[in-house]
Amino acid sequence: MKKMYVMLVALLLAAMLIPACGPTAPDCSKVETFCVGVVTDVGKIDDKSFNQSAWEGVKLAEKDLGAIVQYIETTDAKDYDKNIATFADENYDVVVTVGFALGEATVAAAGKYPNTKFIGVDQFQGAVTPGLAGLNFPEDQAGFLVGALAAQMTTTDKIGGVFATDAVPPVWRFGEGYRAGAQYVNPDIEIFVVYHSDVGFDKTFTDPEWGAATSKSMIEKGADIIFGGGGKTGNGAVIGAVEAGALAIGVDTDQYFTLPEAQKGLLSSAMKLITPGVFDLIKLAKDGAFPDGNYFGKAGFAPYHDLDATVPAEVKAKMDEISAMLLDGSLLTNVAPVKP
Amino acid sequence: MDWRRFSFIGLIIVILFGVVVLIGGEQVSPLIIISSMLATTITVATPLTLGALSGIFCERAGVVNIGIEGMMLAAAFFGWLASIYMNTIFEFNAAISLTVGVVMAIVSGGIFALLHAWLSIAFKVDQIIGGTVINILAVGITGFLNRQLFFEKGSIFGGNVPHAPGLLPSLSKSLTFLCGGEQGCFGLPDLISGSVFDQKPVAISAIVLVAVSHYVLFNTRWGLRTRAVGEHPKAADTVGINVNRMRYINVVIGGMFAGLAGAYFTLESVPSFEPLMTNGRGFISLAAMIFGNWTPFGAWAAALVFGASQALQINLQFFRESIPPNWAFLQQSYVVGLAPYILTMLILTGIIGKTTPPAADGQPYEK
Repeated sequence: MKKMYVMLVALLLAAMLIPACGPTAPDCSKVETFCVGVVTDVGKIDDKSFNQSAWEGVKLAEKDLGAIVQYIETTDAKDYDKNIATFADENYDVVVTVGFALGEATVAAAGKYPNTKFIGVDQFQGAVTPGLAGLNFPEDQAGFLVGALAAQMTTTDKIGGVFATDAVPPVWRFGEGYRAGAQYVNPDIEIFVVYHSDVGFDKTFTDPEWGAATSKSMIEKGADIIFGGGGKTGNGAVIGAVEAGALAIGVDTDQYFTLPEAQKGLLSSAMKLITPGVFDLIKLAKDGAFPDGNYFGKAGFAPYHDLDATVPAEVKAKMDEISAMLLDGSLLTNVAPVKP
Repeated sequence: MDWRRFSFIGLIIVILFGVVVLIGGEQVSPLIIISSMLATTITVATPLTLGALSGIFCERAGVVNIGIEGMMLAAAFFGWLASIYMNTIFEFNAAISLTVGVVMAIVSGGIFALLHAWLSIAFKVDQIIGGTVINILAVGITGFLNRQLFFEKGSIFGGNVPHAPGLLPSLSKSLTFLCGGEQGCFGLPDLISGSVFDQKPVAISAIVLVAVSHYVLFNTRWGLRTRAVGEHPKAADTVGINVNRMRYINVVIGGMFAGLAGAYFTLESVPSFEPLMTNGRGFISLAAMIFGNWTPFGAWAAALVFGASQALQINLQFFRESIPPNWAFLQQSYVVGLAPYILTMLILTGIIGKTTPPAADGQPYEK
């Protein structure tokens, strides 16, 4: 036994020597290097949704602007400050923090590190902080669009929406925009909207099993189109709906490409154009024209893909009309920015 | 049988369902509400039931197992991984891939349990710490492999999550397949399609396993020995029962139950793996086990209560507009979401009778 311990200690000591010969990190303090770091919300960089879209915007910057890029995945909400500080301490030029939950930590970091520009995706800025731009989207419009689409495509006059939480304003705006859009097309339609709010931020977005069970329950009550929104939970709802033979609507990105399991029943997706939004802000930072305060990206809905042939021409025309009216401001969703 | 406990649990479920019927009964027919809630309840209770059975086998033999959560997570990952490998790399069809996936999930649950048994029996490690180790280990291994295999450049799947072979089919779909078309089996598939009975294989086997576990624990020699080892290992030893062998085997059996629960997540519920996707259900299983006083039927009933309160949480939101104003607090999903935890605390205070763990639960056996 004693021999084993000696061996173990020797091995551990040997292991400590190994990192010494690893690759060296780039020096971001130099003027000629342009470094961009991403701190994800609790969840993974490859979440097929939010973190991934932001990361793709950053990778565009790697390609087009020659930026040095890196990411840190947050595993625990307590680590937000620490993860942001990791980049800022290494003199990164731009730090992108992804998600509403990182809002406070980002504001604090912007105050502490004046030489770093911060992009807070989905973080509405109540007050302007120098060096910090909140990238926001009119989610209510995206929700409105797919709500209107669902209301036109349903054959049972019952549609459903499964969302991760009502405490995160963008998710809430998707949900209520969806409701408003459906009622705009058909005031008598029955809409089931459910938010998974009971288990805390670290879990509401990563509970696909709950999402699938909830969308199945809605389909049993006659709903034939389900809009799923909010990280993995929403993905679960979309996959669950398609598996049960209903149509589904994805969220944030064109989920036709991110959820291959759902392709055959995916009607559309309510999109926040996160990737171009993040890229535009990084470019502005590089050009020295970084906007402090709120910066608004665009929202829209994804193509119908496999179901294109099943969508009647008049529905398509109506969708274009609603889309144009939302864009020029002649049609308002009347959704409150946060849950009252 | 502890009728007081069962009637209490039954009453809770009736109340939970009743609230929704009262509120939503005018919009949707009560029959549809009840059958849909029942289906949700059974589906959601599946991993909890299996997790509780896992705990029962371990603890009845005298080994505390708080690593069920980790065993489920690891099994969910390895089962899913096996199904994808079979489907994508070896190009087997979906049915074979899924079957191999389920088997792999059960095996990996068993392997993690073997580790727990080894730590707690051979090394007499504190069993709470051993279980915690399992939980942390499972999070680490699954997260790391998930990243290495699917998301790193140059990984075997080329940086993309491959198409999963789908999900385990529901009973009606399986019957349709087996009997060759909708009209086979005397129209049975048509009859059960969309009803409460149209459950998927893991959910159905969970219910069957409850009955089997009850029989094994209370009506066989094996069960008697298992319980003896958990209640009074010294006495068991003096009559010639190999205490540690019994414990090893029972912990591994428990791990296999947790493994089947893991299969539910990635092969039956959604066809993808997410880090941490078990979301504490392993721990709720333990509550269900205590709630059910370390008996299979009791634990199942408790799991159904947790399932029903989730069904309530989902269904109440459907009918949010119909909630009467003086019940407005029910509109807050937080309030409803608390229901299972409040129930657990009530149960633990002994309001429906004392719960008694096996006497030698958590104590390593030394001759």
